[in-house]
Amino acid sequence: MQYDLIIIGGGHNGLTCAALQASRGRKVLVLERRGILGGLAAGEEFHPGYRTVGVLHDTSSVRSSVIDKLGLESHGLKRRSDEAAVFAPQKDGPGLLLFDDPVRACDELAAHSASDADRYVEFRAFLARIGSYLRGILGEIPPPISPRGAGQFLALLRKGWALRSLGRETMYECLRIGPTCVQDWLDEWFETDVLKAALASPALLGTWSGPGSAGTTALALMQICTAGRGIVGGPAALVDALVLACESRGVELRTNAGVVRILTDAGRVQGVELADGSGVEGGLVASSVDPRQTFLDLIRPLDLPGDLGSGIENWRCRGTTAKVNLALDGPLEFSCRPGAVFDTIRVGENLEEIERAFDSVKYRRLPVSPHIDIHMPTVLDPGLAPAGHHVASMLVHFVPHDLEAGWGDTQRADLLEVCLNRLAEVAPECRDRIVGYQVVTPADLERELSLTGGHIHHGEHGLDQLLSFRPQATCARYATPLEGLVLCGSGSHPGGGITCAPGELAASTMS
Amino acid sequence: MTKRYDSIVVGGGHNGLVCAAYLARAGRSVLVLERRHVLGGAAVTEELHPGFKYSVCSYVVSLLRPEIIRDLQLPRFGLEILPLECSFTPQLDGPGLVRWPDGDKTRREIAQFSQRDAEIYPEFGREMMKVGRMVKPILEMTPPDPSSLRPGNLLDMLKLGRMFGQLTESERILQAKMFTMSAIDFLDEWFEGDLLKATLGVSGIIGTFQGVRSPGTAYVLLHHYMGEIDGAFRAWGLSKGGTGQISNAIADAARHFGAEIRTEASVDEVMVRGGRVRGVVLEDGTEIQADTVVSGLDPHRTFLKLCNSSDLDAEFLGSIKRFKMRGSSGKVNLALDRFPEFTCRPGDGLHVRGDVAIAPSVDYLERAFDEAKYGDFSQRPFMNVVIPSLVDPSVAPPGKHVMSIFVQYAPYALKEGPENWPQKRQAFGDAVIDTLAEYCPTLKESILHRQVLTPWDLEQKIGLTEGNIFHGELSLEQLFFLRPTPLWSRYKTPIPGLWMCASGTHPGGGIMGAPGANAARRILKTR
Repeated sequence: MQYDLIIIGGGHNGLTCAALQASRGRKVLVLERRGILGGLAAGEEFHPGYRTVGVLHDTSSVRSSVIDKLGLESHGLKRRSDEAAVFAPQKDGPGLLLFDDPVRACDELAAHSASDADRYVEFRAFLARIGSYLRGILGEIPPPISPRGAGQFLALLRKGWALRSLGRETMYECLRIGPTCVQDWLDEWFETDVLKAALASPALLGTWSGPGSAGTTALALMQICTAGRGIVGGPAALVDALVLACESRGVELRTNAGVVRILTDAGRVQGVELADGSGVEGGLVASSVDPRQTFLDLIRPLDLPGDLGSGIENWRCRGTTAKVNLALDGPLEFSCRPGAVFDTIRVGENLEEIERAFDSVKYRRLPVSPHIDIHMPTVLDPGLAPAGHHVASMLVHFVPHDLEAGWGDTQRADLLEVCLNRLAEVAPECRDRIVGYQVVTPADLERELSLTGGHIHHGEHGLDQLLSFRPQATCARYATPLEGLVLCGSGSHPGGGITCAPGELAASTMS
Repeated sequence: MTKRYDSIVVGGGHNGLVCAAYLARAGRSVLVLERRHVLGGAAVTEELHPGFKYSVCSYVVSLLRPEIIRDLQLPRFGLEILPLECSFTPQLDGPGLVRWPDGDKTRREIAQFSQRDAEIYPEFGREMMKVGRMVKPILEMTPPDPSSLRPGNLLDMLKLGRMFGQLTESERILQAKMFTMSAIDFLDEWFEGDLLKATLGVSGIIGTFQGVRSPGTAYVLLHHYMGEIDGAFRAWGLSKGGTGQISNAIADAARHFGAEIRTEASVDEVMVRGGRVRGVVLEDGTEIQADTVVSGLDPHRTFLKLCNSSDLDAEFLGSIKRFKMRGSSGKVNLALDRFPEFTCRPGDGLHVRGDVAIAPSVDYLERAFDEAKYGDFSQRPFMNVVIPSLVDPSVAPPGKHVMSIFVQYAPYALKEGPENWPQKRQAFGDAVIDTLAEYCPTLKESILHRQVLTPWDLEQKIGLTEGNIFHGELSLEQLFFLRPTPLWSRYKTPIPGLWMCASGTHPGGGIMGAPGANAARRILKTR
């Protein structure tokens, strides 16, 4: 064997898995189709002199255990010193600068509603109560659907017991709210529209669901309970540290090396075939690309065991997120807070506006008023743009991958236009500041980043596609029915976003 | 001083009557108190136009548990179910789709749209029946309390665990999918034809404030597949003489077993003294004493109207207030002087002797939901139309017909406020008739009388809070041991002696009778 482990895809999960396995003395090769490493976490120059920190920009949920195990801080990674506050601007109103810490959030919230300021304290206390339980679920290999042997049964019972130990009321509250829609849940807590919109927003990132869709409370809980302090320099800085961690452990990183086939013999994986026709032998192959590509494109149907193929055919991965990057000659300024500069901004007045934006994907149209999640990395890291200039990294919801009219130049221009129209409602001077821009549609994400359906999470975060069902019951524990093939990307538990958790958990299964 | 009863059942709906009948059969002295002049609650027949008998609210039956029919000897008391064998989805620009009693004929119909769907369809039916069978035992079960470590409860949990343990892995996956997916995502895994998916998908939304694309609706689809008449799954039927006949038969059975039933006896308050139930107080001030009071009303009415808030703790009241009612449907009943022809399939043949669904596409259904989401009734609603007089001539004069139109969506919470429904009632009725008239052009001129029921009317007339026909949304967080609230899902309530027996408890709404029977079983076990 040339390598002990070959990893398909050099995104943050592939790199995490590679470095962790190399730590155990494995000889590891990472194969990346693109010219750069990092996938959705890779930073790029999108306009001369202006850089993004990745297609995704939120690093608040990166697993601390990965940073510790790989000693990423010794490779230059720095956590932010302060929690990020989210700014939610309003057309007519003071806007809301929201901190996680209820004490710091108090004054801002009280300007909207005294009762919400009080409730926020209870809300955060409730989340703190269930946080460690949820982090436990998200940080572990999901339980099997059909437990075998006393050990697996006991593990299941322990999970149940851990939930019960939260107390009877809290246990029932978790069971009750999990399947609800985030709108109902937040309505039970708060009355301020812009607060509810800001809290719901991250749960809806990338999903084919609106705030009124059942199951979105579970996503919100997952997101809120794993969020901590982000990384200085964003996903790109994480990738830089991961690359150094890989190199220092002797991982071979090859770019411009697209895998076209996973080679099997007698029901066992033998290695991979590259686009140039060459083959590489490996004892194990770990795929960090999405499940549809892994099973339907890279493996011959005949080599797929059982009904895995038909199960994966039904895997839902309809992308709903577009990316617009703006190069600006100054910071975004909001009319409700003149002079203030924010690095994390969520544009959405209320949940109804976000729900209406979601309606558009159902009918394959562009939203009239999109929901925009903005990050200005240049606030903390001015080196990403010329002096005094800024970059606005905007994730735009909800934008259908399968736009009815198809994606052409007109549609891309329309997309930019609806975004800027919405942004101008709260930041009227934004248009005058633009010196360059980049529009990345879900179709572009599919083509350029090899994301099936342009789905940034490698597959919908639906209740039926999470935990022990992600991506299928038979391969939810990272190993697949095809001997020697392991999954290690966002298509596995606990799903997408910059967490490095799938890579970490997959590595832990390869003894 | 009036007589003292073992049990008083508040509300003479079908569940209250079932519960009363079982209690009386076990030798208890039982009194049923019904506010209206007619028994049945939402399962009533009323002659609102001379000679025309409307099944005012609930109009079809399939979920009524066979063991209840047997135990209460309902056929003896006049219950007769006439099967509805066809299901017809008309189109404006196509032949429409009919599902016939004959499987081959149905396959040929489906093949007009997709050969592949036609081949898969029988397998789909078998799969659904399989899941239905898996879920069935759960219907008859009192939900266990997963948080309790009492031996009896642990045993119940163990039973549930064993039931799950006996399933194959693929059955477990299928079950998990049904509980979490949207009806359309689920159907997408099977079929490609849009009209077929719309036709099947509507079962996932009936009575809920959800769209066909809302996660969780696949379960409601199953809920409607679990219907059972004479042991045949997915068979719907009409009660001869109208839906009220079901209630009348159950009432007669209850009387036969010794229960006393009073109509026009509106209960004002549940009497609680010394921490337990002592009876009820009627609107006219009469007090009637009983050891147990069983509420056949929905959880909101039971705890927020009948009970004194000082008898309940604030946390419990909060959980009841959070229980989502959210009525989403209305009803239009018509008296017609002739049969209304459907343009795409003329004639009054077998195809219209079942239910007719106005569900021409998935997007049509979803758009109807979108309008309701933002607080307006659907301008072009989903409708489930039945013409009972074709199957049961006793409900209309010769040659004439009654038409029952179930309409969705009509959200209780209009954006102008629910109290504005009376002003919108006629506009709502017009939207229904206008939409239906596109499929049956002669409809408008044949209407002799129309009754329009909005969710507001269902609340005011029938007593369904927010007009919810299931006494509470059938969403995952409001089912099984969470219905109506996590700590009180076992028919018992925090007030000793007060019980619940209606659709707001497990297993939920529809003319099923299971909550009434389950509650009676629990009450009888308790003393």
